[in-house]
Amino acid sequence: MTFAIEMTGVTKRFGAVVANRNVSFGVRQGEIHALVGENGAGKTTLMNVLFGLVQPDEGTIRINGQTVVMDSPRRAIALGLGMVHQHFKLVPSLTVAENIFLGMEIVRGGLIDRKAQSEKTRQISAEFGLKVDPDRRVSELSVGIEQRVEILKVLARGAKIVILDEPTAVLTPQESRELFRILRRFADAGMTVIFISHHLSEVMEVSDTVTVLRDGAVVGTRPTRELNEDELVRMMVGRNVNFDRRPRKAISGRTVIELKEICARDARGVLALRDVNLTVRSGEIVGIVGVDGNGQTELAEVIAGLRAPSHGEIAVNGITIAESHPRAMREAGLAHVPADRLARGVDASASISANILMGRQYAQPWAGRGLIRWGRVREFARGLIKRFDIRARNEKTLVKTLSGGNMQKVVVAREFSRETPFLLVDQPTRGVDIGAMERIHDEIMLKRDQGAAILLISVQIDEVLALADRILVMFAGRISGEVDPEKTTEDEIGLLMAGGAERPRAAA
Amino acid sequence: MEVLERIFNIALIAATLRTTAPILLVSLGGTFTTKAGIFNIGLEGQMLLGAFFAVLGSIWTQSALGGVLIGVTASVVVAGIFSLFVVTLRANEVVVGLALNLLAGGLTITLTKAIFGTRGSIVSGDIVGMPRIELPVIHDLGPLGQMLSGFTPLVYLSFAMVFVVWLILYRTRIGLHIRVTGEKPAAAEALGISTAAMQHIASLFCGVLAGLAGAHLSLGYITMFAENMSSGRGFMAVAVLIFSNGDPVRVLFGCLLFGFADALSLRLQTFGLSSYLVLTVPYLVTLAALFALTYRQRPKLFRETAETLSLIRRRQA
Repeated sequence: MTFAIEMTGVTKRFGAVVANRNVSFGVRQGEIHALVGENGAGKTTLMNVLFGLVQPDEGTIRINGQTVVMDSPRRAIALGLGMVHQHFKLVPSLTVAENIFLGMEIVRGGLIDRKAQSEKTRQISAEFGLKVDPDRRVSELSVGIEQRVEILKVLARGAKIVILDEPTAVLTPQESRELFRILRRFADAGMTVIFISHHLSEVMEVSDTVTVLRDGAVVGTRPTRELNEDELVRMMVGRNVNFDRRPRKAISGRTVIELKEICARDARGVLALRDVNLTVRSGEIVGIVGVDGNGQTELAEVIAGLRAPSHGEIAVNGITIAESHPRAMREAGLAHVPADRLARGVDASASISANILMGRQYAQPWAGRGLIRWGRVREFARGLIKRFDIRARNEKTLVKTLSGGNMQKVVVAREFSRETPFLLVDQPTRGVDIGAMERIHDEIMLKRDQGAAILLISVQIDEVLALADRILVMFAGRISGEVDPEKTTEDEIGLLMAGGAERPRAAA
Repeated sequence: MEVLERIFNIALIAATLRTTAPILLVSLGGTFTTKAGIFNIGLEGQMLLGAFFAVLGSIWTQSALGGVLIGVTASVVVAGIFSLFVVTLRANEVVVGLALNLLAGGLTITLTKAIFGTRGSIVSGDIVGMPRIELPVIHDLGPLGQMLSGFTPLVYLSFAMVFVVWLILYRTRIGLHIRVTGEKPAAAEALGISTAAMQHIASLFCGVLAGLAGAHLSLGYITMFAENMSSGRGFMAVAVLIFSNGDPVRVLFGCLLFGFADALSLRLQTFGLSSYLVLTVPYLVTLAALFALTYRQRPKLFRETAETLSLIRRRQA
């Protein structure tokens, strides 16, 4: 059996942290090989080692049977490897063809031959069945097409082994399925595909072989058809995880928050929210899903008082909020877990107790006579660290030293402990490990059962399916549909996310 | 009316082209650094040293061309030092730029005193200035022709450079790589383009053009060097670059505006207005332009009207 790639005994340390521990794995030519594992399991590091972006401390790499030293991405490319990074490395102001030929421009008479580049791009895109317009600027493309351009970039450099790092994280289900068809064609044509993912359903759907990493080490490499999702999860986390719908009792409370005819414009003045109407009742979780960039960010900002709506009104407990201001919203009864915890959730260079204090610093009993009562704050923070299982030495620990999951727990602890009637929870588990995710889900369910009104915005459809009582789908700045999580399918949601029968449009 | 006619005439246009040239040259130099993602506040100092060494070179070599070459060399050296600190040693670009500006100011004064024993300026019959070119056919085309003829070579060069710089930036490989370096360094690095090399190259290109701008000041229409003779043109160039985002065509229009203000203030001085007031004109224009441009970009608070709302609804239905 010939291996396109064989890595043997690869170890990579970053200081005291071991990112890869004696990893050995092989990828056969012509197969789709999925590399799965939790966040921080070492998948990306391993691929960076393979692509020559970082040097391993120990171990050997063989490509098509030849032992090689991957000292730079250039060498990897020369050996027929190509990597599609999770964060695209495209230049927005350049055209598709210019991006594809960047670094290997076709030059005639000292000037770049743009015609030849467009022509060549058309050729490659026809050859591999990846349709793009070579002369469109990348800034005008949707994320799905941008990814196609990234793949073409790799193919134009003659790659026979394609590595994709979390390729579906930014795609709609339809776009993902299209990607899988493309990858299958690659494999059928004798190319080798490695893709990193933690979406187990797509791993089961598309891959031939799965390698699972946990804590930097290989748990096992198995043919996909011998596995099921439960086994995969067990391999990933070493225990069973509950992905099913959370049990709940029906609570039908009064309306806590109501949005009427909300319109809002983004920073460029483009209409980002178009006549959004929604209500969240006490004891209810309303989930909002949609492809990133279809108005969810603006919706969260409007509700949080961070962006003034251009039309419409917001009422909390029947009282219309007169002024769009974060403090006004918070005093009206909002707790907000923002999507980007580093930008808006925490002050990373401050301690846990200082972060817990934020937003309370005006009020009794945390402050009096213009001074903050740190003793009380610290005592309170200690209690929250225990209650929310924040893994930190003590309440004086700086937030920046915490892992993503524990950082998020600090935000959740601060906001949920405010005992407000309304919670806006935006991407609560982005980039956190499964343990922290479950913990945060437990807290959300607890809040629901205590009668809070919760608006949950997430790009993780399974998260919303597991938690929400109602799901609203956003597309192009409006609510494109409401579905019942008990009865709906990912397909139905996917169709609504893509604007119903329309094709997905450029979202950015 | 008569006064206005005396101010605004063909001579003013000719003067505008002349005063635009140095700002245009130094701004075009700055387009390279701007596109490469470097905020180059050191243009003023590069230009001043260029002007000083152009005079020195002109005396040494007894030729205007020699003077220009030595002036350009001096400013390229400063540009090299700038990029060495900013790119290789990763120093803060504003601090390094300001430091080099201060150094240029002090160094030219010190060297003037050391070499010529004078303070403030170098005036000498030994300085060979640049010749004026009478364009043979165009000169005979009446007043308009005369307006376009009789400038020094650097004036023609400065306007020709708008196209050349545009061609380099948008149609050559090196220009493409410079733009990518400024816009998305991660993309450049991932494809094996050295962003550091591109920034060094951009800075050196910038040095060449800043040196030409300096040589124009001291060997163009007045053949002398005066203390701080760049008088803020490098900073105006920085302003132009910020408005234009380094686009050569927009740079041209910005520079024409400043050149016009410069020419106008020179003209107004002949009318016996207080020179202190008149000399503020270019800076007032800078401020006005800054205000006008940012006023348009200020954050707006939109309110949907009943009309737009019904439009939104109709489109949804």
